[in-house]
Amino acid sequence: MSQQSLTLPPTDRKAVRRRRLLELLGAVAIAATFIFLVLTQPADIAGGLGSVSSLVALGGFLLGALLLIVGVLPTLPTSTVVLIPVALVLNIVLGQLMGTSGLPFYLDSIGTVLIAVLAGPAAGAATGALSSIVWSFFNPTVLPFAAGAALIGFLAGVAARYGLFRRFYLAPVAGFATGIIAGVVSAPIAAFVFGGTSGAGTGAIVSAFRAMGDTLLAAITKQALISDPMDKAIVFAIAAMLVYALPRRTTFQFPFVRRFRVLAGKEPAARNS
Amino acid sequence: MAARLNPLTAMTAAAAVLAITTAASSWAVSLTVAVGAVLLSAAAGIVRRVLLAAATIVVPFWLSLLVIHGLFFPEGRTVLASWGPARVTAEGLTFALEMGLRTAAFVLVLMVFSFSVRIPELVAALVARRVPPQVGYVLASTLLLAPLVAARLGTVRQAQESRGLVVGRGIGSRVAAIRLQMVPLVLGLVHDAGIRAQSLDARGFRSTGPRTSYTEVHDSAAQATFRVFAILLALTAVGWRIVESLPAGSLSAFSQFVGGPG
Amino acid sequence: MIADRTAATTLLASVASFSYHGDPGPALRGVEVVASPGTLTAVLGGSGSGKSTLGRILGAWLLGGRDGTLVGSLQLEVAGHPAGSGPLRFAGAQDDPRIDPGAWARHVGYVPQDAASMLSAVRGTVEEELAFSLENRGVPRGEMVQTVADIARRTGLDGFLHRDPATLSGGELRRLAVGCAVVDGPGVLILDEPLESLDQAGIRTIVELVRSELARGTAIVVLSQHADALTRAAERWLVLKDGQETAAGPPARILQGGVLAESGVVVASPEVIIPSANRKPEVDPMPAPPPVLTLPVVEAAAGATAIGTKPALELAGVAFGFGGRSRSSPTEDSLLLEDVDLQVVPGEIVAITGPNGAGKSTLLRLLNGLHRPFRGDVRVADESIAGVPTGLVARRLGLLFQRPHDQLFERSVLREVLFGLHPIFGTAAAERAKAALAAVGLGDSGHAHPHELPASGQRLLALATVLAREPSVLALDEPTVALDAHGLERLTAAVSAAAGRGAAVVMVTHDLRFAAAHAHRLLRLEGGRLRQF
Repeated sequence: MSQQSLTLPPTDRKAVRRRRLLELLGAVAIAATFIFLVLTQPADIAGGLGSVSSLVALGGFLLGALLLIVGVLPTLPTSTVVLIPVALVLNIVLGQLMGTSGLPFYLDSIGTVLIAVLAGPAAGAATGALSSIVWSFFNPTVLPFAAGAALIGFLAGVAARYGLFRRFYLAPVAGFATGIIAGVVSAPIAAFVFGGTSGAGTGAIVSAFRAMGDTLLAAITKQALISDPMDKAIVFAIAAMLVYALPRRTTFQFPFVRRFRVLAGKEPAARNS
Repeated sequence: MAARLNPLTAMTAAAAVLAITTAASSWAVSLTVAVGAVLLSAAAGIVRRVLLAAATIVVPFWLSLLVIHGLFFPEGRTVLASWGPARVTAEGLTFALEMGLRTAAFVLVLMVFSFSVRIPELVAALVARRVPPQVGYVLASTLLLAPLVAARLGTVRQAQESRGLVVGRGIGSRVAAIRLQMVPLVLGLVHDAGIRAQSLDARGFRSTGPRTSYTEVHDSAAQATFRVFAILLALTAVGWRIVESLPAGSLSAFSQFVGGPG
Repeated sequence: MIADRTAATTLLASVASFSYHGDPGPALRGVEVVASPGTLTAVLGGSGSGKSTLGRILGAWLLGGRDGTLVGSLQLEVAGHPAGSGPLRFAGAQDDPRIDPGAWARHVGYVPQDAASMLSAVRGTVEEELAFSLENRGVPRGEMVQTVADIARRTGLDGFLHRDPATLSGGELRRLAVGCAVVDGPGVLILDEPLESLDQAGIRTIVELVRSELARGTAIVVLSQHADALTRAAERWLVLKDGQETAAGPPARILQGGVLAESGVVVASPEVIIPSANRKPEVDPMPAPPPVLTLPVVEAAAGATAIGTKPALELAGVAFGFGGRSRSSPTEDSLLLEDVDLQVVPGEIVAITGPNGAGKSTLLRLLNGLHRPFRGDVRVADESIAGVPTGLVARRLGLLFQRPHDQLFERSVLREVLFGLHPIFGTAAAERAKAALAAVGLGDSGHAHPHELPASGQRLLALATVLAREPSVLALDEPTVALDAHGLERLTAAVSAAAGRGAAVVMVTHDLRFAAAHAHRLLRLEGGRLRQF
């Protein structure tokens, strides 16, 4: 027992490469699924033609999300892994509340964005995907949106990486842009898997576009373009507020925050070499 | 009954049933699956909880579907009634019914799974399959954390009211109160998580070698066979649906997505 | 197998400096610790002295590089031979050795002050929690069951194996945390404030556990801000202040000097004597005189109403129980409080004690309406609070909770105290806030983040937020917990000042010495009723 090494072995490069590959495959699966869905979207939904699209949407997005989780999670430091359940509970509790409120917002990604800002895009993506999967234990309809949720986490991490959380007014702008992309990606799921949206508020907006003669996918995409950017702008602003409320010793635990100077005015004093 | 079943068997069965239901895309299959799920939950003695939880999700969803497709369905030909721009069509109602049943089946099947599975067993089964331990940890921790967070939010609220925080009826006052409660809640949870991470590391959480489980998970050759069979069946159903749709597969133009139907 | 054999282990640590990432200065400077087999070493210091930081470095809970910059060396000797590949030297550089916390924990076990944070929180029973690290190391199940049973016996948890850890009492929880550490078979055990917030029964079981571990040859380091029975049994003391060593040596010598008083360590006479394996119990060389407080005590406090002074707080026939949610459902046998009468006049300090679970904290929550009585009436400043929202009662009655974390929510200490003051005091608010901060000794910390204050400071800040509102009744839940000697002084001064200006003070406490020294009346809550102590 005493001969056992007390220090960590150097990083296993092969294992790192294998994880990277999984992450990449996950991203490719999500992207390919989306492109396939847009290209082959059924012209007429009336005949139950959504079936293949539903299968592809469900299968492709879920597979991508699972690959991301398995690829990313083992690379994260324990301090981030332990924070993920906290983020998920925030997501789920607020998401459930908003789901019943009738407002066309979701607010179900505050925790995901929080992790992304503290721990980076990969952690954010894994958190988003996990959030959908764990939430589906209470509300199975969110399961197919795992890929969209992962994308939100990823984009939030990228925004943090390039300093968009250093200015308080830039965070909602980044959220708005994230919302546009996430909304477009998630719309095919709502359209092909569920044939609509789960909330009354969002449902009303969809039917308004349908009344104007849009296809279901187009109507849901437009609805998403109304709801999601606003929603994500709010979510990013709240996440920024929470991150700035944290004490510096806590935020500086995260190498991502230190390395990319994610937060303004929180630089270590000069003597900290 | 459920205790004897390996969680992976239950999970495979649920996933296979969902794949087959989606592939079949017929209201009759969806209805059968939904009824089957309810019967199964009755046999397991969780029918009340499953139905209640499913209803809170499915009922608003159905209402939303009815509004979207019952009133506005531009593709519909058989008009049953119309008021101004709203046209109730047979096709729209059928579509809403089909989607509604499929979603109900989806929700019910997953609810039966999540209400009958024992999380420690699921985590142990995942460890035995060499799934990264972090996955099991996040799953178990989130489900166990939720009541704790609720209790903690309660204490935060009490502590703040004792400091003279009066939550008024106005929206502004409520939003301000939410902010004041969120900050200590999140701060406290993040702080605890930081310490817990150090503890987990010391307790070998990051060890890369093989792991074992204290919780025993039941498994049998019959269950293993069943899992293989279920996966094959699901793959067949999906394959059949794809092959069947190929000749009719309409590769519509990308422009249609952008511009909508002309 | 692991459980039976603890190899004689010596830990030699030398911390030249350690600073957290983002902190302007080091938290520790020039501290050396040696823990030898079968000996007890105590690291004493006030709140914020760096003793927890030191303990976490020793136990590899804080790592150089990951959590901060560490300069110094750590070395383990197992059965006379250096473990691993000799001493680990840290220069605060990129290529420093990276400790594997899991491997380190098999030699050095650290048990944090908050025992709950030791638990994985993903295991439903005590036995599964104990097995957590064995699972991670891939110990075969048969051996694991055996080891868990051994450890349970060793830590006195035999009867609890199937309990949910969330239902354990404070003492049981701490024993479980120790069990989780010793299950890895470490030869060195580091205990951070092992007796904090335990009742007498809990203290006894932990002290027994420490004694039996010493007899097995384990090297034990206790970190504490109390010179109490446990730390007095140590062979050697190390006193820290502001992250630096101010004294080191045998307890008897240090107790003679003035270093302890300056460091903020609370000096208490031994209540429980633990004879260590080969030493006579030490006679307390300097029984600390209980600080006597002279106050203008209201002469006839108990019968104040007779004189005509209106009580500031009055409970008449109050009953309360948690039985059911609806008003009618708590039945007579499910009542936690059956018939509580209490009158406190302005300027009077009343302390309430009682066993764990007697309903002391519940009683305090009844005072400001967080709980509503099932029967009876609560009157604050001569007005019934029935139907008045808690947030409004708070103007007349300030309640201080046990966990300061739950109460603090602002970005800075000053903003924290200012919160909600403007509606009451208008333009004088800022002045009031500063005065309240000065009263608890936080006058200079106005710009710090509340959560970055040491534990003692956080409690005092929470106290300041209550004091700033100048309530006519002050209700304090375990006010002495987590306070060091300086903190206790400030608490005492603040409480007597509040009483001096005519506030009634009710406090619930385990700390009989503090209660006896500072309260005019000592009451005991037991069996749902308040009695004279």
